Amino acid sequence: MKKLDLRPRLSARIMDGAMKVALWAVALGFIAALLVVMGAILKQGWPVLNWGFLSKMPETLDAGGGVRPQLFNSIYLVALSLAGSLPIGIGAGIYMAEYAKEGRLTGFFRLCVETLSATPSIVLALFGLMVFVQALDWSFSIRSGACALAMLNIPILTRVTELSLRGVPQEMKEASYGLGATKLQTILRVLLPAAAPGLLTGTVLAAGRAFGESAVLVFTAGTNTSMTYPDFSLKAPGETLAVHLWYVVSDGTLPDAREIAAGTAAVMVLVLLVMNIVVRLLDRRLKRHAR
Amino acid sequence: MPDSILIEPVMEAPLHPTDRARLRAENLRVAYGPKEVLKGVSLDIPANQVTAIIGPSGCGKSTFLKCFNRIHELSGPAKVTGRIELDGRDLMAMREVELRRRVGMVFQKPNPFPKSIYDNVAFGPRLFGVRGRSDLDGAVEDGLRKAALWDEVKDRLADSAQGLSGGQQQRLCIARALAVQPEVLLMDEPCSALDPIATARIEELLFDLKRELTIVIVTHNMQQAARASDRTAFLWLGELVEEGPTETIFTNPGKPMTEDYITGRFG
Amino acid sequence: MSRSFPKSFSSRPRLPLSLWADRGAGTLFLISTLVLVALIFSLIGFLAWRGAGAFIALPGNTDRVLSLREVFLGLDWSPTQDRFGVLPFIFGSFTVVGLSIALAGPLGVLTAVFVTQIAPRWMRAVMRQAMDLLVGIPSVVYGIFGLATLLPFLGDRWLDGQPSAGFLASALILTVMIVPTIVSLSMDAFEALPRSLDEGARALGSTTWQSIASVLIPAAWPRLVTAVVLGMGRAIGEAMAIQMVIGNNPQWISLMRDLTDRTPLLRFLFTPASTLTTELVQELPNTAAHSAWNNVLFALGLLLYLLTMGSILLTRRLSRRRA
Ligand SMILES: Nc1ncnc2c1ncn2[C@@H]1O[C@H](COP(=O)(O)OP(=O)(O)OP(=O)(O)O)[C@@H](O)[C@H]1O
Ligand SMILES: [Mg+2]
Repeated sequence: MKKLDLRPRLSARIMDGAMKVALWAVALGFIAALLVVMGAILKQGWPVLNWGFLSKMPETLDAGGGVRPQLFNSIYLVALSLAGSLPIGIGAGIYMAEYAKEGRLTGFFRLCVETLSATPSIVLALFGLMVFVQALDWSFSIRSGACALAMLNIPILTRVTELSLRGVPQEMKEASYGLGATKLQTILRVLLPAAAPGLLTGTVLAAGRAFGESAVLVFTAGTNTSMTYPDFSLKAPGETLAVHLWYVVSDGTLPDAREIAAGTAAVMVLVLLVMNIVVRLLDRRLKRHAR
Repeated sequence: MPDSILIEPVMEAPLHPTDRARLRAENLRVAYGPKEVLKGVSLDIPANQVTAIIGPSGCGKSTFLKCFNRIHELSGPAKVTGRIELDGRDLMAMREVELRRRVGMVFQKPNPFPKSIYDNVAFGPRLFGVRGRSDLDGAVEDGLRKAALWDEVKDRLADSAQGLSGGQQQRLCIARALAVQPEVLLMDEPCSALDPIATARIEELLFDLKRELTIVIVTHNMQQAARASDRTAFLWLGELVEEGPTETIFTNPGKPMTEDYITGRFG
Repeated sequence: MSRSFPKSFSSRPRLPLSLWADRGAGTLFLISTLVLVALIFSLIGFLAWRGAGAFIALPGNTDRVLSLREVFLGLDWSPTQDRFGVLPFIFGSFTVVGLSIALAGPLGVLTAVFVTQIAPRWMRAVMRQAMDLLVGIPSVVYGIFGLATLLPFLGDRWLDGQPSAGFLASALILTVMIVPTIVSLSMDAFEALPRSLDEGARALGSTTWQSIASVLIPAAWPRLVTAVVLGMGRAIGEAMAIQMVIGNNPQWISLMRDLTDRTPLLRFLFTPASTLTTELVQELPNTAAHSAWNNVLFALGLLLYLLTMGSILLTRRLSRRRA
């Protein structure tokens, strides 16, 4: 046996120290950058944010407009799109987790879900414009927007449903079947309640994504709002907060476009933050409940 | 030789007669948080012998073993008091990289890296700056031969280590540990995932290896301890109950508790 | 023999009913799935139909038929003068995505290495929640940040206050948008590795960094690449945020040539430009349905779609190799 010179290398120790320092620096720099970005967004919107901004109608030419109808439209559209996409998304998720046999066909379904969820929103916008706005002649309206948004939500909901159902322990399922329950009873009484925390998180995730979506809605719900408030008509134009933000800065006719956009951005970030916190609390509660 | 600047100065270990204790624990206490896992264990581990550590699950065997190359430091902060020595030097004061080179470890589950067989064995020497092709080839062959794996894999050194059987993987891990030419080899239930044939091969290995190395092996298998070890130490709830030559422990144990455990009348 | 059946067996009306419900529900779930499949196919079908209209004479077309060559190899985009070269947008997209991946890939993976291997344990949970939150921030919010904060900052820093819209600003905004995805998926990749790998490397005398660089990163590699490719997919499709900071100039190639008072690097980074997505946002509302202009825009949509499909198939391949 040849005796090798196997003593610790100084170079290895220096490299180790240097890389640790570098990684700390990268990560801290990254965190700092994120804080700066978030801080800048909130700071710019802060001066504009007040009750008047949320409760006033927008102006078309003058400064000082609010975002009341846009806020309404955002919430209304998210609710409508979820109403349309939840049954399909959850149904498809249940099918893929509990009914489909592992094989070619399931693989194909999964590819479809993946493809649809990765479809760029501008491509969905093209589709929505072509089908809902033009072919069905629904024009730029709440219903066009809601349908296009639902297409955005469906794959998210499907995937989340499938994953949370698969996450339910096998023993729970077997216990239910062992008691003579049918498949449907097992799904409704055992699997769905057990998967509820995941489903809830997924639904809020989808809602959050729909709430912040702009590209799809610019070309389906449009960049105008109804003259009346609140307008629940499905045929009314349905500009949302995100679209409004984008539209005022690209259009540029408002003297205070920047301020309005910054204020809208801050509103959206705050709403998403609250949604995030609420879902976290609910999730914790549901999980404790399940135990 | 410009490379020598890159080598850290290390105090040469004092020469020692082989009958002296290689490893020594003195009143060793280890606590994870409020839980004391080892409660003052003192044990001398002589050179060029196989020392078996036995005891019921959770009694602290793995913890004890891991202290000798301080690998326990990876899994969270543990409070260690008492003294642990390698060749009379305080182990806690040594640089861990140097310590772990000299005190190798084989784990319960084979853990080959997702690399080729060659790269697995060459991994250790490379860490310490061995770059020359012939040096590496030599180290790889040497390690594999000592682990009795050379003949089985010499024609497929470039294949992935994950394609080997469980027993082969464990011997590869032994080869990998041997390739850095350690003085001590710690083995934590090395055969628990293996079939009887693979187990027998590894036990045979121990006989050959102890000519060059000091070996400490944790095992749940009493026959294995009796067959393969020279000395046996019995741990119970973090305390050393009894220790001595394997023959004595197995044929004429000093404490009834030891006898109960060995004969399976425990609990 | 029928006498030996327990009497209750034949007189239990609930069993068939619940069996019927069972079967009906199964069918409903299947229909949901088929709706989903139908959606994806109609999406592809419509895009292909309208995109093809640019190159094939289809009923309803109001303009001349274009050749693939003049569209996909043309450098001049002047739709009002019947010139439809889209190469500048393709270049633009690749540039922006390439730059942002070059920044976000290493940044995201290294941050994940830090959080999982070096940072104190409590940072993992915090980081994960922060990343989840950031992934959900809408693109227009990043857009207005770019417009109101980043562009003025870049302009003051490098261009003496001139407008700084262009590739650099777009790539930076995109980086901020996709890094959270990459960090989060890379953290998954490292956490999925068995602890025994790190232990094995350390037991041989590796330093922390040696273990990371020569064992952990190689072992996690396929999943790390998947994380970056998924981030890339997101970057390719992003429209609104970039549209707000890129300057929207289809003629950017010739403008870049003309801006001779700048160094080549500044020209490259700060010339107002366009990408596939920003062009769609910019021009789609101005075009009449079935005109050549409109059809080419749909063809661009199809191209975008194919690119994201490509990235998905790539990640699938990678994960199959992993298995
Ligand atoms: N990193 C750790 N943190 C907290 N407690 C630990 C840690 N590692 C081990 N323990 C505890 O220390 C005790 C002894 O563990 P150890 O692994 O040494 O036992 P063992 O004798 O090797 O058992 P086995 O035969 O099952 O392998 C156990 O109760 C275990 O729960
Ligand atoms: Mg153990």
